[in-house]
Amino acid sequence: MRVVFDLLRTNIEFAIGMFLLAIVVIVSALSFVSPYEPDLIYVVFPDMPPSAEHIMGTTSRGQDTFWRLTFAMRNTLLFGLSVAILSRILSLLIGLVSGYLGGAVDRVLMSINDTFVVIPLFPILVLFYFVMRDSMSWVGLAIIMACLGWAYDARLIRSVTMSLRTREFTQQSVFSGMTTRQIVSQEHLPYVMPIVFSTTMNNMNWSIGLEVTLSVLGFTNINTPTIGTMIYWANQHTALVAGVWWWILFPVLMVVILFIGLFLLAVSMNEYIDPRSRLSRMKGAA
Amino acid sequence: MAIGRTLTVAVSTLAATTVAFAQSQVTDLPREQTLIVENPEGTIKNASWFNYWSVNAGGRSTGLQQLCMDTLWYVDSDEGLDGAWDNSLAAEPPQYNDDFTEMTVKLREGLTWSDGEPFTADDVLFTVETHKNSNGLYWSAPIQINVEEATAPDPHTVVFKLKKPNSRFHIIFTVRWNALWIMPEHVFADAGDPLKFAFNPPVCLGPYKLMAFDPNGKWFTWEKREDWENTSVARFGEPGPTYVAYTDPGPPDKRVIAQLNHELDIIHDVAPEGMFTLARQSPSSVAWFDGFPYAHPDPTLPSLIFNHQNKVFSDSDVRWALALLIDIKAVSMASYRGAATISAIAIPPTGTHPSDYHKPLESWLEEFELDTGQGTIKPYDTEITLALAEQLRASLGDAIPSDPEAIQAAFGQGWWKPNPEAAAQLLEKAGFEKRGGQWYTPDGEPFRIRIVVEGEKRPVMTRAGTMIAQAWRQFGIDAETEVAEGTLIQRRNTGDFDAIISWSVETLGGHPDLAFFLDSWHSEFIAEPGAPQPPRNWQRYSSPELDEIIEKIRGVGFDTEEAVELGRDYAKLMVREMPIIPLMAYNVFTVMDTTYWTGYPTADNPYTNPVPNWANTKYMMTQLRPTKPD
Amino acid sequence: MHGYGQYILKRLGQFVLVVFVGISITFFVTHLTPIDPVETTISAAAAFGSTSPEAIAMLRETLRELYGTEGNVIQQYVTFWGRILQGDFGPSLSAFPTPVSELIARALPWTIGLLVTATIIAWVLGNILGGLAGYYRSNVLLKMSGVLAMGLHPIPYYIVAFVLLILFAYVWPIFPLSGGYRMNLAPRWDATFILSVLYHSILPALSLILVGLGSWFMGMRALVSNIVTEDYVQYAELGGVNRRRILSRYVMRNALVPQMTGLAMSLGAIFNGAIITEEVFGYPGIGSLLVDAVHAGDYSLVLGITTISIVSVAAAVLIIDLAYPLLDPRVKVA
Repeated sequence: MRVVFDLLRTNIEFAIGMFLLAIVVIVSALSFVSPYEPDLIYVVFPDMPPSAEHIMGTTSRGQDTFWRLTFAMRNTLLFGLSVAILSRILSLLIGLVSGYLGGAVDRVLMSINDTFVVIPLFPILVLFYFVMRDSMSWVGLAIIMACLGWAYDARLIRSVTMSLRTREFTQQSVFSGMTTRQIVSQEHLPYVMPIVFSTTMNNMNWSIGLEVTLSVLGFTNINTPTIGTMIYWANQHTALVAGVWWWILFPVLMVVILFIGLFLLAVSMNEYIDPRSRLSRMKGAA
Repeated sequence: MAIGRTLTVAVSTLAATTVAFAQSQVTDLPREQTLIVENPEGTIKNASWFNYWSVNAGGRSTGLQQLCMDTLWYVDSDEGLDGAWDNSLAAEPPQYNDDFTEMTVKLREGLTWSDGEPFTADDVLFTVETHKNSNGLYWSAPIQINVEEATAPDPHTVVFKLKKPNSRFHIIFTVRWNALWIMPEHVFADAGDPLKFAFNPPVCLGPYKLMAFDPNGKWFTWEKREDWENTSVARFGEPGPTYVAYTDPGPPDKRVIAQLNHELDIIHDVAPEGMFTLARQSPSSVAWFDGFPYAHPDPTLPSLIFNHQNKVFSDSDVRWALALLIDIKAVSMASYRGAATISAIAIPPTGTHPSDYHKPLESWLEEFELDTGQGTIKPYDTEITLALAEQLRASLGDAIPSDPEAIQAAFGQGWWKPNPEAAAQLLEKAGFEKRGGQWYTPDGEPFRIRIVVEGEKRPVMTRAGTMIAQAWRQFGIDAETEVAEGTLIQRRNTGDFDAIISWSVETLGGHPDLAFFLDSWHSEFIAEPGAPQPPRNWQRYSSPELDEIIEKIRGVGFDTEEAVELGRDYAKLMVREMPIIPLMAYNVFTVMDTTYWTGYPTADNPYTNPVPNWANTKYMMTQLRPTKPD
Repeated sequence: MHGYGQYILKRLGQFVLVVFVGISITFFVTHLTPIDPVETTISAAAAFGSTSPEAIAMLRETLRELYGTEGNVIQQYVTFWGRILQGDFGPSLSAFPTPVSELIARALPWTIGLLVTATIIAWVLGNILGGLAGYYRSNVLLKMSGVLAMGLHPIPYYIVAFVLLILFAYVWPIFPLSGGYRMNLAPRWDATFILSVLYHSILPALSLILVGLGSWFMGMRALVSNIVTEDYVQYAELGGVNRRRILSRYVMRNALVPQMTGLAMSLGAIFNGAIITEEVFGYPGIGSLLVDAVHAGDYSLVLGITTISIVSVAAAVLIIDLAYPLLDPRVKVA
């Protein structure tokens, strides 16, 4: 906890990042006190521009854009996080082990890894949708995407670990009698963490982007509010040419806020985690 | 100051030149002589395939069926240039013998194919023979079932001997949307297997011939034949456009933009909001109706279709209860933003049907009574469209007609008054039970309905389904929509749905005969649950009473009052049984730009259906004239 | 060099295995599809006029034979490999009898042309900007460009593409709304056609570059900020080596290796097409062909496209792995 306060005080990027994320989280949390049920349409007068009564206007489906957005943001955020966390665990495990151990283990793991890399994701997801239909909730989609979305980053982590393995400090650790698990988790993990953070960003970007793609094309459950399905419905009502810009602008704005927040966090966390970067910062301060 | 002015001039000149350059990059064809039309099929995967007859064909409404193909007769869904019925390749209407086992056709003389070959009875015979000898063609089955033998006593007469009496045999050769087109014998005779012949370039009987096409299927361009006078439409004058281009303009937003840029003369269909945008921002755009509701009502009836093999829906009381939960005004607003033409009976409220069916049945509908188990109600509400018009007037003002006649012409007559109380009674009568705000079936299962909709492909239908699901859900039924983008046809044909927003009623529009679609409602088409069946009787509805009506119609003449009477019996049976819940006409927002062309069909001049993927839009070409003649 | 030869052999074996397993998985997943191409065709065929159940049964049999979809999945699987090994994907089921390879050949040049160019431009720009931003961390301009790249990156691609289209094809209509080239132009190698193609590709390419830039930028920035703190960079700085030289010789070069992996994989992955780009800009390509094929249950076509994609991604990975020891001398061949 102290770390967080520390960072908030000393690191402006961290502070802004936290602030932006807080906005997203608060908006998502507001969905629990929404005056409207998420599923209902035509509960307010449609196509109203933003006003005091409806701060983000109303959609052509007669929904309040703001309250609809709270549900959408919550689902999208949870979706992106689930995919990111699950796939990070997989890619870290496989990348580190494969890169450090090398040899036969590496070849087996990388064969599995490469199979996942080469399988074309999009048609597979669409086919899954056709097979699973309305049981394809966002949770299901998140699990499938996590299973398909780790391989690329595992490879990246492996390549870094491979180059770390040849470095002196690894040799020294081996000579000083550290176990594989200790070396990987204590010596290599800190080097890999920046990659994990930056790939988390990329991964969330990727999963949320793919969710939007699938939704825009109608390959998800369009009754679940997400950022993707909001855009889907806006498209169905040709919102952009019909002048109902608030239906598109605000969801997009929220996604942008989320990602800039995450980016700033990742950047500042990287600096904090990397011991030498911290040292040089202290030197600079002194 | 001077610098500022120079800069402004420079910028605006730059803007003007760049825009002009962009405009010139749309097409290579002289724009003033070209009609650019949306092909709703989108991008054609197999663009170089023009063999319309093989089931695996490429594009159909790429101009191929509108400009190149021709067959014996056309029936228009509106008034037609010279009546709804048109003898196209035939010189006169079909002549049947007394027991409908023989049909004689007289053909027009002096018509030629686009390569100069004359059109004769041999082409018709060849078409029939090819369909008899090959199983994989579109019309193989109907020809093989019906035709015993076809002969040509002279080069311009064809006699069909039928296997069994069929008073509607000519429908196979009568274009509503399309029909069995006549094949050029001199091309196909030496082409080998008709299933594997691409027919590229196509040889045409219509007034245009293929000019060029994009191998990736984005566009097809057609050029007026020099010998257009040797084609059947020459009776109505020279086609206006020298070139016609059919393109894939992309999603609805882009169609609107393309027309605002004057790059797309005819939009096939857009979402209602797109239509309103064009009505507001594009003074040169016109639609079927001059004002609200703008759209052309196609003779097609989007409905809520139950799967009758799902035993939850086996009781008509349940179906009626679900109908009484629907607020048609809300459905009209959600789907078409009010621009819908509603119908309580299972016949589209378009073309000549209102005078043949809707108006004569009005008093019967008003008196119609329903036994809810706890009393009787009269569910029909004649005021409903007037109320809808009133509601729309609040925001649209004078765009909404005030004359009750005009309101009914645009919005339809009446519908069922929402009555949740009666619905609850009906469900209880059928053995359903409400516990804790949720309805349960007689088996004790939660009452669960998934309404299959087509998604973005048909936004208006998707929106109607969503509204209906919401109404049911609020009543305590576990109802939701399910998008079957791309799989809808498959699911419909295998009966893989509880309910579906689709249409199993498609009429001729300009002619009262219902046999065109009614035949498909026969119980003989029903397959085992889950097994695929021909795309007939999707609702899998079996009724001896209806079968009897269908069989009777098969035995009476096409143009008889008897056939209309039987049609009314059908409509009444549908109301009593409610096997589908009829909603409204399929209103199509076809928008036409008058920047380059005038003379489009509209409600004031309803000479043909403007919806440009219909084959009878060939008649439109003869009426179009350049806006700025040179 | 003996070790490297062995490494190549092992890697090649792995490549074959990965491709085989990948294609097999895709084959079986594809055959899970509930869409039956024969039934889809029948629906279309029987949509007009009255059709008796016997006629439908007849048609179904004819089509099964014609499409070669009789037999169970295993039999089809064997036939499939037999054909693939001869480089034949068979006829498309939704555009019968046009060969799958012909459909792909019509769309592929568009996909390759657009995506290779856009990917490389985004990669080069992203890496240069990201490298600079990681090295000169106090530079305000570079920070701003970082925020901009970051701000654009998360906007769903669909929106970026669509807004570009609205701005430059509607508000200020200087670029075309749709298509790969001018309507009615004959595709041939002359100046008119090539210019028309280039002109039509500007907006789609721009949208891909704008969105693609961000992730390369971020990756490079992260890598460089890591490397900057390494001892050898510190020594070089202390030793008074020119900063630009440090950046290009010590920092960027080392950071480029993982970025090359990314590039190779991105290039390998382009054979899935860019479905949203194609949808929004009405641009020809393999992506919409793929979606269309999935819709129609045309598994021949789906497998044709995915096979090409699998092989090319696997090949990209292979090339990178083979080149790795040569690029980064610190990596010893196992």
